[in-house]
Amino acid sequence: MPQERSRLPVPVVVVVVLGLLVSGFLFVRSPQPPHVEVAAERLFTIGSFPITNTILTAWIVVLFLVVLFRLATRTMRLVPTGLQNLAEALVEALLNFCVGVAGDKNGRRFFALVGTIFLFVLTSNWMGLLPGVGTIGLWMEKDHHEVLAPLFRSASTDLNMTLTLALYSVIATQIFGARTLGIRQYASKYINLKGGFIGFYVGLLEFLAEVAKLISFSFRLFGNIFAGEILLGVVSFLVPFVAAIPFYGLEVFVGFVQALVFAALTLIFMTIAVSGHGEEHHAGEHESAPHAAQVEAAASH
Amino acid sequence: MEQLGINLPGLVAQIVNFGLLLLLLRLVAYKPILGMLDQRAARIRESMERAEEIRRQAQRAEAEFAERLNEARREGQAIVTRANEAAVRIQREAEERARAEAEEFLRKARTEIDRDRQRAIAELRAQVADLTVLAASRVIGRALDKPAHLAIIEETIQQAEKAKLS
Repeated sequence: MPQERSRLPVPVVVVVVLGLLVSGFLFVRSPQPPHVEVAAERLFTIGSFPITNTILTAWIVVLFLVVLFRLATRTMRLVPTGLQNLAEALVEALLNFCVGVAGDKNGRRFFALVGTIFLFVLTSNWMGLLPGVGTIGLWMEKDHHEVLAPLFRSASTDLNMTLTLALYSVIATQIFGARTLGIRQYASKYINLKGGFIGFYVGLLEFLAEVAKLISFSFRLFGNIFAGEILLGVVSFLVPFVAAIPFYGLEVFVGFVQALVFAALTLIFMTIAVSGHGEEHHAGEHESAPHAAQVEAAASH
Repeated sequence: MEQLGINLPGLVAQIVNFGLLLLLLRLVAYKPILGMLDQRAARIRESMERAEEIRRQAQRAEAEFAERLNEARREGQAIVTRANEAAVRIQREAEERARAEAEEFLRKARTEIDRDRQRAIAELRAQVADLTVLAASRVIGRALDKPAHLAIIEETIQQAEKAKLS
């Protein structure tokens, strides 16, 4: 009986949805399409330091994560309950991921950065989907007409933030590589004088690859999340009710996948960097195949 | 760069922000949780080892117990066998003694009877001799020389006995 009562008849659902779609389209439409602004809007300045809405949101993300984990680990028990259980499951899953890719010793070394990247990106991405983020703001003068500067805007839609993470990722990769293999050997990856002209050229390419990683890292995350927000904005502008719901689901998924991809790629680049120069061709070929498979398998979950 | 929103203050703010997050999460999340995970793993390993040890001990104790049980059974069997043997021996000894006693008794009884008979025969012989002498003297009417007669009687009896024997 309870199932019978809780189930709405299909025709009613169809009518309500259609009604919402049509009435929204007819009566509640916003007068102007969403304003697309690539750069984060400046809200105010502290001294001469500009505070943008993305920085504000990033602070909130940091605060949220730190408070969450602080509450979870304040009273650690051997038999975990509640929040501690959640936090442990999260950290353990991330640790297992790192250990699975990079091995026990290196996995633990890389874990702090990889885990933090994942948590930060995931929280930033999903925070952008909260109601009010990107829609509540201040009217500001720009190019002689009023535009809405949202008070909160997902930190992942600011290239400063994605570039920051890319810098952390790439620089940490160099540091781990140099510390594991020794500076001399690691530097020979970029400045290769023994291999003649071709060796030198390959070293140059390796260096360019690192720069390309910076760009691909930052623009992949930025592009995905920024595009997602524009997509949601445009769909909501065209059909205010209901229509955006599937896209919300999609954006939740995209937010997770992007966090995972950023963390996983960082992890893989680090793993490759610490495996030696000579065996890089073998290790790279042998290990990058399972890595790619792992990333794809994890992403498809 | 300006149009993409990339600027130095924003970048610096994000770098500091993320560095802070990295530091704080290491402090409030990774350190305590990894510590707890390791501790728990160690604990589980330890308790499993202990359980294994207890299981082994139990197995050893069981084997020992079975061994002792077997030993006791064997000992019991041996005792019963020995007791049976002893019982048989005692019985046989008792029988033998009884038989010996009975034979001894019989032998004594026989010698006694024999002696009595001899005595009875002797007495009888004496009386027969006396009576014969007496009867003979009556018949003859005079006293016979007793020793001479006795010799004759004795001779007669012996002849009679010989005759009887042959």
